Amino acid sequence: MKILMILKFEWIHFIRNPFKLIAILLFMLAAAYGINNGSKLYHKQIDEIDRITTQSSEDLESVIAYYDNNQKGPESRPWVDVTTPFWAIWYASQYSFKEPSKLMVYGIGQAEQYGYYKKVTMWSSPYDADMAEEIANPERLNSGQLDFTFVILFLMPLLLIICLYNIKGTEYDRGILSLIKIQSGTIKSWVWTRLLFYALIIIIVNFILLLIGGTLTDVFSSDMSAFWLYWLWINVYLFIWVIGFGLIIQYGQSSVSNTLKMIGLWLLLGFIIPGSVHQWISTSYPTNLMTDFIDSQRDERNELYDLPDEIFQQKLNEQFPDILNSVVINDSLKIGNARNRSASALANELTKASIVPIEDSFKAKNKAISATYWFNPVTFFQNRFNQTTKTHFDDYQIFRNNIQTRIDRQVELMVMDIWNDETVDKNRFLNYLEELNGNTK
Amino acid sequence: MKRIIINEWRLLYRNKTQFGIMCGFMIVVIVAIFLSHKQYNVQYDSFNSAKNELRAQWENIDAMNPHSAAHYGTYVFKPANLLTHLDEGVNSITGNVLRVEGHVQNEMVHSEASQMMFTSKFGKLKASLIFQYIIPLLLIFSAFASVYSEKQNDRLKLIVLQGISPNRIMFSKALAIWLYSNILLIITLLVYLIFSTSNLSSDLLLRLVLFFVSYSLYYFIIIGLTIFLSARINKTAIALTSMIGIWMLWTVFIPSMVLSSVEDWHPLPSRNAFKSAMSEDRSKGIDGHNPSDERGKALETKVLSEYGVDSLSQLPINFDGIRMQEDEEYGNLVWDKHFGNLNDILQDQKNTVQYFGIINPFTSLQNASIGLAGSDNLHHQMFLRQVEDYRRVFIKALNDEHAYGGSKTGDWGWKANNDFFKSVADFDYQPIMFKTVLKHYLLDICLLILWTGIVIVLIIFGTNKIAMT
Repeated sequence: MKILMILKFEWIHFIRNPFKLIAILLFMLAAAYGINNGSKLYHKQIDEIDRITTQSSEDLESVIAYYDNNQKGPESRPWVDVTTPFWAIWYASQYSFKEPSKLMVYGIGQAEQYGYYKKVTMWSSPYDADMAEEIANPERLNSGQLDFTFVILFLMPLLLIICLYNIKGTEYDRGILSLIKIQSGTIKSWVWTRLLFYALIIIIVNFILLLIGGTLTDVFSSDMSAFWLYWLWINVYLFIWVIGFGLIIQYGQSSVSNTLKMIGLWLLLGFIIPGSVHQWISTSYPTNLMTDFIDSQRDERNELYDLPDEIFQQKLNEQFPDILNSVVINDSLKIGNARNRSASALANELTKASIVPIEDSFKAKNKAISATYWFNPVTFFQNRFNQTTKTHFDDYQIFRNNIQTRIDRQVELMVMDIWNDETVDKNRFLNYLEELNGNTK
Repeated sequence: MKRIIINEWRLLYRNKTQFGIMCGFMIVVIVAIFLSHKQYNVQYDSFNSAKNELRAQWENIDAMNPHSAAHYGTYVFKPANLLTHLDEGVNSITGNVLRVEGHVQNEMVHSEASQMMFTSKFGKLKASLIFQYIIPLLLIFSAFASVYSEKQNDRLKLIVLQGISPNRIMFSKALAIWLYSNILLIITLLVYLIFSTSNLSSDLLLRLVLFFVSYSLYYFIIIGLTIFLSARINKTAIALTSMIGIWMLWTVFIPSMVLSSVEDWHPLPSRNAFKSAMSEDRSKGIDGHNPSDERGKALETKVLSEYGVDSLSQLPINFDGIRMQEDEEYGNLVWDKHFGNLNDILQDQKNTVQYFGIINPFTSLQNASIGLAGSDNLHHQMFLRQVEDYRRVFIKALNDEHAYGGSKTGDWGWKANNDFFKSVADFDYQPIMFKTVLKHYLLDICLLILWTGIVIVLIIFGTNKIAMT
């Protein structure tokens, strides 16, 4: 039997089998629902970012008005003086955002485990409480959103099982396998051609779903290479399952026994192995309770204020050598205030130092997870999908790094302008805005 | 009936593949409990070490202004829960550290899930993962194989000819496999108890009994439905795949879909909008740090008249502490209002999810499982409530010391001594007694009982004439 003939017979079998057609339809419905969830989260995040940006712009207008009206600050806060670098930078600091990728329509990944906006001030850190995830039902977060990636990772293998469970098994159960062998030459090529038929059907279905999803967030106007990469990973993943199930069918006999084995493989790869790895990681790398970070945020910061002036100054000078040539360094009236206002710079260094071992522990944990990929394909593919949709741990690490860079920029600008005794007028404030928030997203 | 059950057990035992698979999964469950126990010990040590370190820092404060101490604050760590051996629930995503300080009510941060890349969609290898996803599938195959083999060999007709009604045979088969599944559950819980002997309590035992009952009911539903479908549907492959289809819908598709949808039906505010609304409300109260605040001035007048003096300097106490406490009291009202609303929405979401147990017993099982293991959102919210109650007592103690500890208004340099800081109690988590939250899980357990009843009816009335079809 020629390949085309096998494919033709399979097509006839497929369209006459309501069970398989319903399975495909259910799969498409689940995928459409997942795509809708991804699109909703994308638009929700975009809307929230727009809302915050608008709110911030309004707040900024009122600050600019202080300069226009020769006011020092809000009437209710008489201690504020926006003509000083400290308060001007305090008010110039804006939100930092992690803009969602348009490909979020396909996969939500870890997006709901982290915050995606943060007001960055000179006292901030990338691990502040406001970096926690959006308000959400923890039970829903725990079960995760039903997104398109979930449909691909867990429901696509099930769809394959439904499509493939009776291949060869039915013929074996009916005792007509020898007849097939006579007609098609080898059972092996007959089985694999039939498998290929369903793989092609699923590839087409997935591609249609991807195209529909892409229109919801305008994926095609942005990053086409990411789109193709996502599609490629789906197909690689599909073929791994096709090969796994194909071998079961090739060497298996009855359809019941084959179904049991295929379900067993799905449970093993989708549940047991990832669950065991997760359990092992939790035991070997326990949750970091961030005590070092807490110390840096509290005790070590408090100790800064108890430091003798000489040591405090020495630390500042080491961090900003230009202070030695500044105006205030020789001004005994202003130097005390300048030191006080520069405390956030030293606190920032303490925080950064405390973050290093914490992030090292995260890296070690992630490295250990990556080391299991060779026997843990579902986790491997989930992380590949997350990377493509920019919802991976690393994408949020980049966001945290960007926040730290902005904090550093604020601190440096503030310290140098304080020590150079600059007075901030409207133009300088606008320069601050440009310099600190030029790239807020 | 007894004979059929014994015979069924013999067959299960003789089927080496099936028996081997069951034994294999038993071993996996025991390993899972052992690993969970190990994880619990690691977590417990880490929690205690962090808690003791932070408490030591607090008790080592030599002298500090009480209000500075309120800003210095303390930290509460979420304690590890022994029942998470069985079902970890929301614990890995809710954060572990909560800062307790003046003026603000912080949220829990630094969750385990946020500290690593994606690992497992269905959580760690806990007993619940195996009990909820894997054992039911094996029970489906066992139940199916039991009916299938009788039909295939025409033994069913033979037994019916002996005078036993088909529904009785099917019910006996369901009971036989159900008893078998109960043995798996009992062994697991016994292993769990062995690891938990030092922490046994009546509350723990009550939770375990209900945990067993919930899973046992669910297993009966799964087994009974498979027996019913296998008996009714003549085409074996369709009977099996129909049941697997139901299992997929119940365990994979509907739970995710329901949980995703309830947030649309009962939407939660965004963090930023929520915080802005709280700040807005809070701004209507007293600003503890702003002496020129109008509402602060009114409080000042009131306190001055109470003490019968004309100015703050004449007061025998420190008015700053009173103003700070008034600020806190108002902030507490704001917190109660906003977090109360938030909890109401979460409760509405939970209720809606629970009602889905009418069409999906797995939803009821999952709710009961995490609730009985003390790892659901309700237990988490109750923990947060305890922390907030502690925060109020903690900050009030500091403000009272500021106001009445011996300093005068404006004396920010005044410091309370080490004895005072040592006297401020540490947070002491009170485990939540199950009887106080039982009502929240009654619906889940009732729905599981209802489903069990439906399945019994299906077997009794739906399999009566199968031998003739």
